[in-house]
Amino acid sequence: MNLNTPAAATIDVAQVVLQSRGYWTTVWQRLSRDKVTVAFAVLLALIVLSAIFAPWITPHDPYKGNILRRLKEIGYPGHLLGTDETGRDMLTRLIYGGRLSLFMGVMPVVNALAIGGLLGIIAGFVGGRINMLIMRTMDIFYAFPSVLLAIAISGALGAGIGNAILSLTIVFIPPIARVAESVTTQVRSLDYVEAARASGVSSARIIRVHVLSNVLGTVFIYATGLVSVSIILASGLSFLGLGTRPPEAEWGLMLNTLRQAIYVNPYVAALPGVMIFMTSLSFNLLSDGLRSAMDVRL
Amino acid sequence: MLGYALRRLLYVIPISLGVTILVFALVHLAPGDPLNAVVAPDAPASVVAKLKADYGFDKPLPLQYAQWLGRAVRGDLGLSVVNSRPVLDQLIIAVPNTLMLAVVATLIGFTLGAILGGLAGYFQGTWIDKFATGFGVAGVSVPHYWLGMVLVIIFGVELNWLPATGMGPGGSGSWEWNWVHIRHLILPAVTLSVIPCGIITRTVRAIVAEILSQEFVQALRAKGLLNGRTMLHVIKNVAPTVLAVMGLQLGYLLGGSILVETVFNWPGTGFLLNDAIFRRDIPMLQGTILVLAMFFVALNLIVDILQTLIDPRMRRT
Amino acid sequence: MRFRKYSIAALSAAVMATGIAFTLGGAPAQAQGNLRIGMTANDVPLTWGQPDNGFEGYRFMGLLVYDALINWDLTSADKPSGLIPGLAESWEVDQADKTKWVFKLRRGVKFHDGSDFNADAVVFNMDRLLDEKAPQYSARMASLVNFRIPAYKSVRKIDDYTVEFTTQTPDAFWPYQICYILMASPKQWEATGKDWAKFALTPSGTGPWKLTALKAREFAELVPNKDYWDKALAPKLDKLTLIPMPDASARTAALLAGQVDWIEAPAPDAMKRIQSAGFSIASNVYPHIWSWHLNRVEGSPWNDIRVRKAANLAIDRKGVLELLGGYAVEATGHVVKGDPWYGKPSFEIKTDVEAAKKLLAEAGFGPDKPVKVKMLISASGSGQMLPLQMNEYMQQSLKAVNIDVDFEVVEWQALLDLWRAGGKSPQVKGAHGVNISYTTQDPYSAFTRLMRSDLAAPVGVNFGYYNDPEMDKLLNDAQNTFEPKARDEVLAKIHTKMVDDALFLWVVHDVGPRAISPKVKDFVQVRNWFQSLSGVTMAK
Repeated sequence: MNLNTPAAATIDVAQVVLQSRGYWTTVWQRLSRDKVTVAFAVLLALIVLSAIFAPWITPHDPYKGNILRRLKEIGYPGHLLGTDETGRDMLTRLIYGGRLSLFMGVMPVVNALAIGGLLGIIAGFVGGRINMLIMRTMDIFYAFPSVLLAIAISGALGAGIGNAILSLTIVFIPPIARVAESVTTQVRSLDYVEAARASGVSSARIIRVHVLSNVLGTVFIYATGLVSVSIILASGLSFLGLGTRPPEAEWGLMLNTLRQAIYVNPYVAALPGVMIFMTSLSFNLLSDGLRSAMDVRL
Repeated sequence: MLGYALRRLLYVIPISLGVTILVFALVHLAPGDPLNAVVAPDAPASVVAKLKADYGFDKPLPLQYAQWLGRAVRGDLGLSVVNSRPVLDQLIIAVPNTLMLAVVATLIGFTLGAILGGLAGYFQGTWIDKFATGFGVAGVSVPHYWLGMVLVIIFGVELNWLPATGMGPGGSGSWEWNWVHIRHLILPAVTLSVIPCGIITRTVRAIVAEILSQEFVQALRAKGLLNGRTMLHVIKNVAPTVLAVMGLQLGYLLGGSILVETVFNWPGTGFLLNDAIFRRDIPMLQGTILVLAMFFVALNLIVDILQTLIDPRMRRT
Repeated sequence: MRFRKYSIAALSAAVMATGIAFTLGGAPAQAQGNLRIGMTANDVPLTWGQPDNGFEGYRFMGLLVYDALINWDLTSADKPSGLIPGLAESWEVDQADKTKWVFKLRRGVKFHDGSDFNADAVVFNMDRLLDEKAPQYSARMASLVNFRIPAYKSVRKIDDYTVEFTTQTPDAFWPYQICYILMASPKQWEATGKDWAKFALTPSGTGPWKLTALKAREFAELVPNKDYWDKALAPKLDKLTLIPMPDASARTAALLAGQVDWIEAPAPDAMKRIQSAGFSIASNVYPHIWSWHLNRVEGSPWNDIRVRKAANLAIDRKGVLELLGGYAVEATGHVVKGDPWYGKPSFEIKTDVEAAKKLLAEAGFGPDKPVKVKMLISASGSGQMLPLQMNEYMQQSLKAVNIDVDFEVVEWQALLDLWRAGGKSPQVKGAHGVNISYTTQDPYSAFTRLMRSDLAAPVGVNFGYYNDPEMDKLLNDAQNTFEPKARDEVLAKIHTKMVDDALFLWVVHDVGPRAISPKVKDFVQVRNWFQSLSGVTMAK
């Protein structure tokens, strides 16, 4: 649960620079040879797709259960993964749970990627006072350990999906901004970008052509790794009662409500955690695989 | 050198001020009446109004902030709305408990991570490497609140080897380093240690692998001369980075133990924070977040200054 | 990942800081006869006199350390407990002016600090809550208890052992109200610097237990008050340790691991496991009702008595009971059958799906035209038992008779806010009722506040704006009947009308299950929210 990125981390952009079609082909070849990454990419795709197509593939209604068939064990006839505390089908709830859990995990990173990336690029490209202002503000957020900040913001705003996403977005903006700033600063000082500036090419064009193409890849890989943290944190908020509310299907919340049932059916109670684990693991391995395939060092 | 340290030290002032503003703003962002959760559902309005005035919640926010900051600087974090006890007194009890948990977890994580990472880096590509790498990525991917639950099920409920909650017979003030108390520490500390353990495993493996791939080390290896001196070289290069990671991890665990403390009823700051959030105890919430953030700021400061001491090129602005 | 270079010194500084903390304090020796209780509260209830944490705070702090002028009789497991003399030996209403009550105080009672309990102490304690100008006034304490004494106007010392209370209007319920006001020592308050927060650390009451140690959020330790004025109720244990454990699974784990000897409200799902480990479950019905409080604003389907009756007949209470591990009593009204206030209702509440369908058909509803209602419920909350599961089960029962229920799940605190705001408030968004469990321990809480028309929200908690002049008259009669037997008869009439009119949708009464180690002996669970620990002993 950490975002210890790199205040002074050296980010080697040289490898990313001048990406040609040939480069991407190499990346793809390297990726497809990486068995572990491929396997977990497939697993992740399965989780995501089943969440998307949940209504068509699930055997039961995620919100309706039969209270007389509650807390049934794994393998109970008609309920492959048992039932939860109100008799709802676990398999169905776990598949549906992916919708909210993934949404709440991915959205903050996407938002933060947009906002933090923009702030970082501006800070890095413009430099000077603007850089000071942006990066020093980020420093204040950096003074909070990430979990504390997320819980503090969510706790203040109150439970709810929107609030949880907002709080995690705020948590992820500073690290993304730092990476973006750092890479942008390096790209800006590359010879050919300097040359472009000197020859009077407009800033917007320089940003579009040189900065974006070079910065985005690096920031994107970094962000992929954040998704795994984000998923754990988002579910953690729900686990504390600060994310989604019952009767929504969401892994963290399911873990929370099933916690009271560990004496009846511990295995069923632990299932939502397995889903969080698998998803987070997939994102981490994917990020690792991508990183080594693209040979980017963070 | 001294100049840098001084500047870095001075930089703490605006950061701390920013932190106080952020903490105050955060807590007061909250919709709803700050006293709603603590007064009885049908308490008379006049009593509630009086209570509000007692806590200063009737004043404009900037004034509330100034007063809070003024008192906080002098070490007075106010009284809890819920139990009317001084916030500071409660933090003085809770902070060492969290610190103990975080330090022990970091140490476990460090020991295990260093061994696994070292082996993995040394025996690159072998099954040991695969195992350690897998363990490392699992450590950073596992939702630790879930892991805590699983450990309670296994060791607390099914096997009944270790207690599931609390800090021991006399609570937090009576901690002793004996088995009666240490039993209570094992599950939460192990749970909390998986994150630093994963991170340290990954870090150590990467660095060891890198060093071993350096030409002269390779040459030594080829000659079968990988002796104590080479190992020392490796350790010397790995140590600073790993210790930096540990320092930062300690900071993260201090602020991040809330979930684990909740699972294990561990009477630390996370427990306080959780309670303060759900009872909307504003002074308590402000005080706890502020103290944890200041710990983190201080830890960062120490890391930065020490790091410049060791290697002046590594300055952070 | 690459990180900054860094040294071990920062870490060792942090370790040293922890080291200092490690040396704090020493472990208390485990005494014989130490009963350790895991409470559901998330903190030790406030110790300064008026507790927080609702009735659990009274049970495990207020009534242990303090006495009221009138106490509850916590000795009988067979009948609802009544009021008995506490620090007042007797009390009576002035026959000429029924707003005046004269209380004769018990002589020779001493606070834990050795000072005398007398009329001055009573005045001191009332002013602490109701005289904002008094130096001992505490708004926080007032916020905890003033709503329980709405009748109070003033108090006057007549002599050292006689006080006179004046109520706003003649109010026969006054004894039920004053029993919540606990008497703290004025002398001790002076000795602790006239600061209630400091008083709370070394509190002094007249109760059977003395507080000896207190650690916020962790535990409170109490020892018997050897000089307790009622020798019959002097505690037999050596020590009592109260530990807050809000999480039900953590509470169960602590009991199974032998960390505590007694837990309050074990999770129903854990009951079997607890019993198989050799623990016993104590339970007894007490004045609690889990019901749906129906909204009676215009347009609500509940305005039709046939719909209300049908809903009451549709609920499969046996199934609800099963859900609760059998630890509940099926409700046949607002209070339990056999209660002096039960009366003789003619409408029999039971499960009769056919009768329910018939009633609904008469009211014009059926499979093609179901009754549609929306209910406000919470996912948790004190006294709510298993709100989600129980409500969902009810939803299934009601669906079978063509009542379609939709739920709005809100947080417990938010639910209380909506309840206070009332059924007409825009905040409740047209919901047709609220699921909040109620105490029926005293007549005001059981009946008056929920049904008297002038207590409609937001003035009071008549959430549904129920308004029946006949009921108002009965409620006022009860409040003006000073002879206890005659008053019980009026209250029985109220309850009879309540059931016959099916004013609520009643489901179950809680039985307050608590899981207890076999080492704990002689505990008698009485039919009250409060329990006496005086007779309890521990096997060696």
